[in-house]
Amino acid sequence: MSRILLVEDNEMNRDMLSRRLQRKGYEVTMAVDGRQGVDMARSGGYDLILMDMSLPEIDGWEATRQLRAAPETKTVPIIGLTAHAMAGDREKALEAGCNDYDTKPVELPRLLGKIEALLGGPQ
Amino acid sequence: MSSTLSGNTLTAEAQAQLRHDLRTPLNHIIGYTEMLLEDATAPEQRDRLEQALGGARAALELINAALGSARRIVPGDVAQLYEALQAPRETIVEAVSRLLAPEPNGDGAVNADLRKILSAADQLAPEPTRTPADVKSSQTPAPSAPPVAAQPSQARILIVDDGAENREVLRRRLEREGHAVETAENGRRALELVAARPYDLVLLDVLMPELDGYAVLDALKGSPATRDIPVIMISALDELEGIVRCIERGAEDYLHKPFDPVLLRARINASLEKKRLRDLEIEYLREVNRVIEAAAAVEGGHYRPGTLAEVTRRDDELGHLARVFDNMAQQIKAREERLRDRVRDLRQEIEMARRDSKETESALDGGNLRSGENFAQRYEIIAVMGRGGMGTVYRAKDLELEEEVAVKTLRPEFVADKTLLARFKDEIRLARRLSDANIVRTHDFGEWAGVCFLTMECVEGITVRELIDTRGRLGVSATLAIATQLAHSLAVAHQHGVIHRDIKPQNLLVDEAGVLKVMDFGVARLAERSTANTEAGLVIGTPAYMPPEQLMAEQVDARSDLYAAGVVLYECLTGQLPFQAGSVISLVAKLLKEDARPPQEVNPEIPPALSALVLRLLAKRPEDRVQTAVDLGSQLAALG
Repeated sequence: MSRILLVEDNEMNRDMLSRRLQRKGYEVTMAVDGRQGVDMARSGGYDLILMDMSLPEIDGWEATRQLRAAPETKTVPIIGLTAHAMAGDREKALEAGCNDYDTKPVELPRLLGKIEALLGGPQ
Repeated sequence: MSSTLSGNTLTAEAQAQLRHDLRTPLNHIIGYTEMLLEDATAPEQRDRLEQALGGARAALELINAALGSARRIVPGDVAQLYEALQAPRETIVEAVSRLLAPEPNGDGAVNADLRKILSAADQLAPEPTRTPADVKSSQTPAPSAPPVAAQPSQARILIVDDGAENREVLRRRLEREGHAVETAENGRRALELVAARPYDLVLLDVLMPELDGYAVLDALKGSPATRDIPVIMISALDELEGIVRCIERGAEDYLHKPFDPVLLRARINASLEKKRLRDLEIEYLREVNRVIEAAAAVEGGHYRPGTLAEVTRRDDELGHLARVFDNMAQQIKAREERLRDRVRDLRQEIEMARRDSKETESALDGGNLRSGENFAQRYEIIAVMGRGGMGTVYRAKDLELEEEVAVKTLRPEFVADKTLLARFKDEIRLARRLSDANIVRTHDFGEWAGVCFLTMECVEGITVRELIDTRGRLGVSATLAIATQLAHSLAVAHQHGVIHRDIKPQNLLVDEAGVLKVMDFGVARLAERSTANTEAGLVIGTPAYMPPEQLMAEQVDARSDLYAAGVVLYECLTGQLPFQAGSVISLVAKLLKEDARPPQEVNPEIPPALSALVLRLLAKRPEDRVQTAVDLGSQLAALG
């Protein structure tokens, strides 16, 4: 079972997305801000990180940069998520170190496709 | 400045924020609806959910079309978008509301998710309070638009939530109710804001990173400055345990997300009303305290009139009390000032008397004891202070306490009778209890080498006898200063059951500050008995100051002291005694048949009211006099 770390400050988003991913067979752990996300990710054990980009404390962009700089999380796949959906956000996310990028509202099949692509197959 | 478009258009940041604000609830709606759809089996249920999903997708298209990143967006576009969003929003609300089943029959978990969808849909509603300025228009706000005046019922509310969406939903809701709302994105920031300014209510999210809601609640309730601010906890978790935990820690109430708007408003209003009543109560207690403090200040002599001005403006009982109190305090203050003026006059009299009679002190010859002599193995004699009918008074150093005292030796004939001596000791025991600025303190009674003696407080001063002898009559204000303090000392003594019996100018000392000190309380008892016992009239002291009942050895009481005070005041004002006679017998005869000449006739400067008061003290029958020393004090105060 693949383990996903969901870094998301919005309670309802956390609740909804974690439940939907669990239904698809993923084990989901949650962090509520960027700092907690980085700490948890670096303690290890995650196969993929879903990172909201607008977070309190440390935002998603900075958290991603830190994860990429740390040896233990350098290679963990990260998918950036944002509701802003600004032109250029995708490039910015990839530049910060995200492997992929998606917007909210989440289209689950599309997001699952990206997750599966990074993990090398469906659960 | 590529991100900021010129003119009345939204900045790129404002557009991004708006997109975020609208896409987030849609994310919730679509996510939960799809999840419910995965579980739904009943066709009718699936239809409703599909309807809701359709509404959400339609809304998303509208948003994407209106807020495409290449477009220039003006505030009008935003208003239009919100208007357009209402049709799909209603579709969603309509569909989801029909699926909500009453709790006992319905599925609790499904209902919870349905409510989350309704809560998210609410965020698509148009905002009457949303203005171009609110969405960060690059245009400066029109200067003609005045700020909306705060309504009296408006409360200052702080929302603490780490979720930006939740903060926004609540903020909009509460602002629509007319409240002034501020937000904090974490617990630390919330505590900073609360420390900086007062809030009427705090809405506090339970689950937050770092400092969670429980920690913030504990911090707020742990500080006297913030513990009275009501806190309503908010959480997505609808657990009894969490609710109990919050209430136990002092939270006012508990709400769970998504909010039912009616319940939210009711609970907030109830909390605010409770806070308002509590504030009134606290303010009331604070003002009661102010009155109490003012009372203490009056007693301590440092009350400043007007201190209670704020409280006196209240139109309730407390305000009335404060007005009466302030009025009284001001009168007391004025009286004290008059007294100070009089004492100043008195001091002038003293200074002049001193200048006039340098020889007074040197005229005293020594008593039996010599300077430097040790007396009673405790006192080192310094000098003779004065001589009276009963003995000699020495200034001495108390070697035990390293303090100057007055030692009064009593002539043997006064202490020969053991029964009388025992009574005298009783009287001294009572007098020792008197402790007042206007009374010379009696320390001890002793007997050494066959000599009985008293020790007393040593007062550097001049007697009223000396004042009158050197100055003649005293001015009205100096007399009033003496009278007021004499009345006070008698009031204190009488209250303790001590009657002086020998009030006369020789027993009234005035120190350099103008403070009158009455001496020999209790001592006269000895002299009086001796007088009665020696029949033939070894008259000790001065019968001129004695009332008829005392001269005729009848019942003596507090009113006898008041008669004597009347004679002293008569003498101060006129420079002469009310009755003069060569012997006790002729004095008694005069006392019984003659009335004293009104002081005002002797000295026209004396105010009629003061003259009448002195005559009232000199009434032949005790029951016709001013009855108590306290009463005398009030009547003197009333003279102005």
